[in-house]
Amino acid sequence: MTKDSVLNIFDQFRDDIDQGNDRRERLIKASRDVTNISKKAIFLLHRIVLEDSSDDRALALRAAASGREKLSEVHAIFAAMRPELVGDRFWRYHRQVSPGLQEYIEALSFAHYVEHDTLISYQQVQDTLGDAAGPFFPLTISDYLLGLSDLTGELMRFAISNIARRGGRPRASQVCAFVRGCKSDFEGFVPYVRELSKKQSVTATLWKK
Amino acid sequence: MDPLDLENLNALLEYDVGVSEKIKEQVKEFDKKVRIIVGILGKIHSTPTTSMPELLDSVSPVLLSCQDITTSIADVIPPDQFWRWKDMWSNSMRTAVFASALIEYLRDGSLLSLPRASEILGIKEEWKDRFSLPVEDYLHGLISMVNELSRYAVNAVTLGNFEEPMRISNFVKDIFSGFTMLNLKNDSLRRRFDSLKYDLKKIEEVVYDVSLRKLVPVKPSQ
Repeated sequence: MTKDSVLNIFDQFRDDIDQGNDRRERLIKASRDVTNISKKAIFLLHRIVLEDSSDDRALALRAAASGREKLSEVHAIFAAMRPELVGDRFWRYHRQVSPGLQEYIEALSFAHYVEHDTLISYQQVQDTLGDAAGPFFPLTISDYLLGLSDLTGELMRFAISNIARRGGRPRASQVCAFVRGCKSDFEGFVPYVRELSKKQSVTATLWKK
Repeated sequence: MDPLDLENLNALLEYDVGVSEKIKEQVKEFDKKVRIIVGILGKIHSTPTTSMPELLDSVSPVLLSCQDITTSIADVIPPDQFWRWKDMWSNSMRTAVFASALIEYLRDGSLLSLPRASEILGIKEEWKDRFSLPVEDYLHGLISMVNELSRYAVNAVTLGNFEEPMRISNFVKDIFSGFTMLNLKNDSLRRRFDSLKYDLKKIEEVVYDVSLRKLVPVKPSQ
C-alpha cells in the first residue's frame, strides 16, 4: 500500500465531509431565519389582537391574515430547503432544521387558534409545508407536538393581555380552558417525545399565574 | 385535539417505539460480539508473529456473524431513516471497523478501505437509505486502530520483533497525513485526531530506541 493510495482515499472523504458541513451550515442559517420570521409573526399577532375595536371577530381575522402573510416568507425558505433534505438527508440534518420548524409551528398554530379557536392538526401543518409538487420534507410528530407545546406559552400571554382589556375576561378564561385541554391531550405523548415532559411542566406553572 | 388525530399520532409514535426496541435488541447482540472480538484481539500484544495468523483466524467467525446483525438492523429501519437511528449502534460499529482494520493491517500491512470495511460487515449497497457505514464512523475506527498500534509497537519489540515498529511508524504516518487533509469541525473526531500525534510520538520513540541499539539493519539512506 503506497502513501498515494492512502491520500487518495482521504481526498474523497474530504469532499464528503466538506459537503456535509456546508450543508449543515446552510440549514442552520435557514433555520435561524425561520425562527426570526416566526417570532415576528407571533409579536405581530399579539399586537393586532390588542388593538381597540368594536368587532372582535374582524380583528381576529385580520390578525390571523397578517400573521399568515408574514409566515409566507417562511414558506419560501422551506421550499428552498427541499433539495437539501431530500431522501435520507432529512434525518441526517433534522437536528439543524428542527428549532426553526418548531418556532414556525408555534406561530402557525397561534394564527390558527386566533382565527378558528381550535388546535391546528398534524395534517394541516404538513399541508403548509409543501406545494403542488408535494411536501418539501416530512413533518415529524415530535416537531409538531413540541411546536404546539410552545403555543400554550403564547396563549397564556394572550389570555393575560385579554384580561387587561375591557370585556376581555370571558375570552381569557376561554383560552385558559383551551390550554388545559391541550395539556391533558399532550400528557399521553410525554413518554414518546423527549423534551415534551419538560415543556409540560412549564405549561403547568403557566396557568397558576 | 380531535380524538381521531390523537389516536393516529399515538399509533405512529407507538410504531417508532417498536422500531427502536427492535434495534436495541440487535445492538445488544452486536455489543456482545464486538466485545468478544476486542477480547481476542487484546492478545496480539503477547502473541509472537508466528502464531499471529492463527489468532486472527479465530476472530473471523465472530466478525462474520456481525453480518447477521447489520442485516437484522437494516430490515427494521424504515426507508430514508438511516440517520434517525444510527446513533444507537455507532459505538459498536466503530469498534467493529477498528477490529477489521487492525486485522487487515496485521495480516497484510495494508489499510482497510471503507468499501472493504462495509463488505466485511455485510453492509449492502442497496440498503443505502436504511443502513450504511458513514465516513465518520469509519474514521473513528481507524483512529482506534492507531491507538492500538502504538501499544503494539512497544510490545512487538518485547516479543523480539524489531522491524514491526518501523512498519507501524510508516503506516501510521500515512494515515496521519491523510487525516490532515480533512477539514474536521470541532467534534469528537477532531479531538481524537488531535490525540493521534501522541501515538505517533510514542511509536517514533520506539523506532528511535530500536535503531539506537542497532537492533534493526540500518537501511542506507536514499
